Amino acid sequence: MKNFFRHNGGLILLIAILLAIATALGSTLLGGTANPIANAVGTITAPIRGAVNSFLQWTENRYDYAFRYEALQAENEELRKENAKLQDDAREGQAAAQENKRLRELLNLAAKRRDFQFASATVVSYGASNWENTLTLSKGSNFDIAAGDCVVTETGALVGVVTEVGYNWCSVSTVVDATIEMGGLITRTSSAGILKGDFALMTEGRLKLSYLPEEVDFIAGDEVVTSGMGGVYPSGLLVGYVEEIHSEPSGMARYAAVTPAVTLSDLIEVFVITDFDVVE
Amino acid sequence: MTRQDFAFKWLLYAVALLPVLLLEFAVFSRWPLLGVSPVLVPVAAFTVAVLEGSTGGAGYGLFCALFWSAATPGDTGGVFVTLTLLCLLAGLLAQRFLRQNLLGCLLCSLLGLTVWELFRVAVRLFSRAATLPQLLKIALPELLLSLAFVLVIYPLYRAVYRKVGGTKLAD
Repeated sequence: MKNFFRHNGGLILLIAILLAIATALGSTLLGGTANPIANAVGTITAPIRGAVNSFLQWTENRYDYAFRYEALQAENEELRKENAKLQDDAREGQAAAQENKRLRELLNLAAKRRDFQFASATVVSYGASNWENTLTLSKGSNFDIAAGDCVVTETGALVGVVTEVGYNWCSVSTVVDATIEMGGLITRTSSAGILKGDFALMTEGRLKLSYLPEEVDFIAGDEVVTSGMGGVYPSGLLVGYVEEIHSEPSGMARYAAVTPAVTLSDLIEVFVITDFDVVE
Repeated sequence: MTRQDFAFKWLLYAVALLPVLLLEFAVFSRWPLLGVSPVLVPVAAFTVAVLEGSTGGAGYGLFCALFWSAATPGDTGGVFVTLTLLCLLAGLLAQRFLRQNLLGCLLCSLLGLTVWELFRVAVRLFSRAATLPQLLKIALPELLLSLAFVLVIYPLYRAVYRKVGGTKLAD
């Protein structure tokens, strides 16, 4: 038996078991901080992943230019028309446009939520598996990013939640990931529910809003924001819009399929909320 | 085979993993095929196990598991044992019962990927993350598409094996 293991990789298997135990202990004890192995490999490979991602982005742009020329030309024509119309609108209502601009500035997220502390980061890679929907960002504990921090776009739309942090990188479970769970609120009706990732909906790029009150009617397009209940995540972050209402398989309750407000595959720069005031 | 030959052989196998990693973690993660991202790293590990036997396979399985674990957020370490053990068994199977060819590789990959997917399904079933039909809807296409990639990965590793595999450098 001893010979069998010696000649058939028993030692390697033993190392694998020890690594597995170390990783399991690490992920349990460190609570969101990447285990030393993942941290070391992630730290070393983060710049490489960033470079690969930039190269792929560049390739995609070249591909678009070379092979979708006609589509781009049509799109360009469309944009020209739209531009002409917008210029017309702008001339007609310059005063309104200026007011609108001021209002937009007023609604700027940083001004609106002075309690937020942001750390900007770029997306260095997209999750590789059918079982998760994740992103890797270019900053980590070196910028005070911690597991549980919310990640948003510049308009304040929720991208996801940081799940694992390395020195110069962090992993984010996006809003459609099956592990996501947080309080949600439909702004039109002020109805609270639980936003939850779902394997079936994840493949369609959507998430679930369940535990909805029976008496409230929802309509497609209803805006869903984070409720901030429990104080774990900030309130008022735009998550997405109700697309359809379904019944749970038991038939006893309803849930809404929510389409995220952000196009997760197009993200380049995002903002991690490293600190916020808890409003009970 | 000298120590230098041995190191060179495994260095080439390690380099051969680069295009596999690039395809899986940079290309198919952004542009899935028919909505499915194939798992290529385990397939590469099973291929080496078939070509090099249980010990080499287990070592390469552990090497692949390191990258897999680092690239997969929230991995709790199960991949180290799973992939190493599966590669060890695939190597044994190929050495004793199958041939070290494409068919052998396909069979070992089928068995390995089936156990791999069952493990992932079982973990999520245990944590009540989803129902069995929901999980199988993800696992089955992933298994089939990954298996199809044996036809791409096997020739790559076969080319390395022809140059430096087994004890060829000693010949």
